[in-house]
Amino acid sequence: MSEANHANAAADGHGHGELDMGHHHVSSSAMFMTVLIALLFLTFVTVAVAQFDFGSANMLIAMAIAAIKASLVIAFFMHVKWDTAINKIVFLSSFLFLSLLFVFTLADLFTRRLDNEMHVMRSPVDKQWTHPSNLEDGGQ
Amino acid sequence: MSHDDHHAVTIPAPGPEFVPHEVAHHFNTPVQEFQAGKLGFWLFLATEILLFGGLFAAYFYYHEMYPETFVLGGKQLDWKLGALNTSVLLLSSWTMAMGVRSAQTSQKKKTLVYLGLTVLGAVIFMCIKYVEYSAKNEHGLIEFGHLFDGYNEATGQLPWFTDHDGVMAGVPHGHMFFAIYLTMTGIHGLHVVIGAGLIIWIMVGTAKGRFHSGYFMPVDLVGLYWHLVDLIWIFLFPLLYLVP
Repeated sequence: MSEANHANAAADGHGHGELDMGHHHVSSSAMFMTVLIALLFLTFVTVAVAQFDFGSANMLIAMAIAAIKASLVIAFFMHVKWDTAINKIVFLSSFLFLSLLFVFTLADLFTRRLDNEMHVMRSPVDKQWTHPSNLEDGGQ
Repeated sequence: MSHDDHHAVTIPAPGPEFVPHEVAHHFNTPVQEFQAGKLGFWLFLATEILLFGGLFAAYFYYHEMYPETFVLGGKQLDWKLGALNTSVLLLSSWTMAMGVRSAQTSQKKKTLVYLGLTVLGAVIFMCIKYVEYSAKNEHGLIEFGHLFDGYNEATGQLPWFTDHDGVMAGVPHGHMFFAIYLTMTGIHGLHVVIGAGLIIWIMVGTAKGRFHSGYFMPVDLVGLYWHLVDLIWIFLFPLLYLVP
């Protein structure tokens, strides 16, 4: 429908008569208020769960809550839910590229720690090289 | 379809307090103008995500390398001020969304009120940030007077990190947390200041009646920028103030 109107306006070319200005979604005030309350509540949850120690799950829990909050901001405040497919692809693809950066950075990090745990790091220069933090005197 | 022989497309003003919008000559229709502007802005926001993404990658890397440094560093920050700033930014994101909505529905006064409140949120945020930075400066965790001094090779010390209360003495590379804290919140704060400036610019246009149901793209785009600032902070708050 938008396509047809678009074509009409283009053929018309003068802007008089029926001027197509697109069909913009105007969100209700009630919806924005609901999203705000949800975001403030989730901020409270963020602080509340930080008072407990879940060990290595701490980071995962904190990031999961932040991701839910971010999704609410993106979908509703930023209107991405009602945006065109191309705009959705452009913006959301940045998170795809971000995940590539994280995956390769963390791959390096975790394999490094694996070496540290064996207390030995192999290097082409030294036959065996101990990471300074694993030396008895702490690398001083 | 020739570009030369068509007249300028004008979007009529919805009321006497508004001015008509003339679609830029290189666009055929208002829809084309809106979609082109929006696509360009989403591309820009994608680069912003990647800019902060690099900093988040650095955070995760060093957090994994020196977890006790990050946990202890996070305890030096006041999480109450952080939570307060999170609430201020979330509220200002809401006033921004309502401001865009008011522009979309040609409610000039409401638009100005909501945008004004958003700028107020930005000012409160930066004031709280100033209080926090001052405290870090006093305790020698980030000494702003020596921020750009070179590394002191004679003493082997960073000039901006003296930690004169010795709070970070027990952990390796105590400065790493504060370097990342300052870089991430500093660049984020810069975005808050730029965002506030853009909102004031939009308020001037609104007062002149340039934005209404027929044309509100600049309000929409500045709104997206402001929500991105909020989006980044949503991740900064738990990572810096409540270090997991």
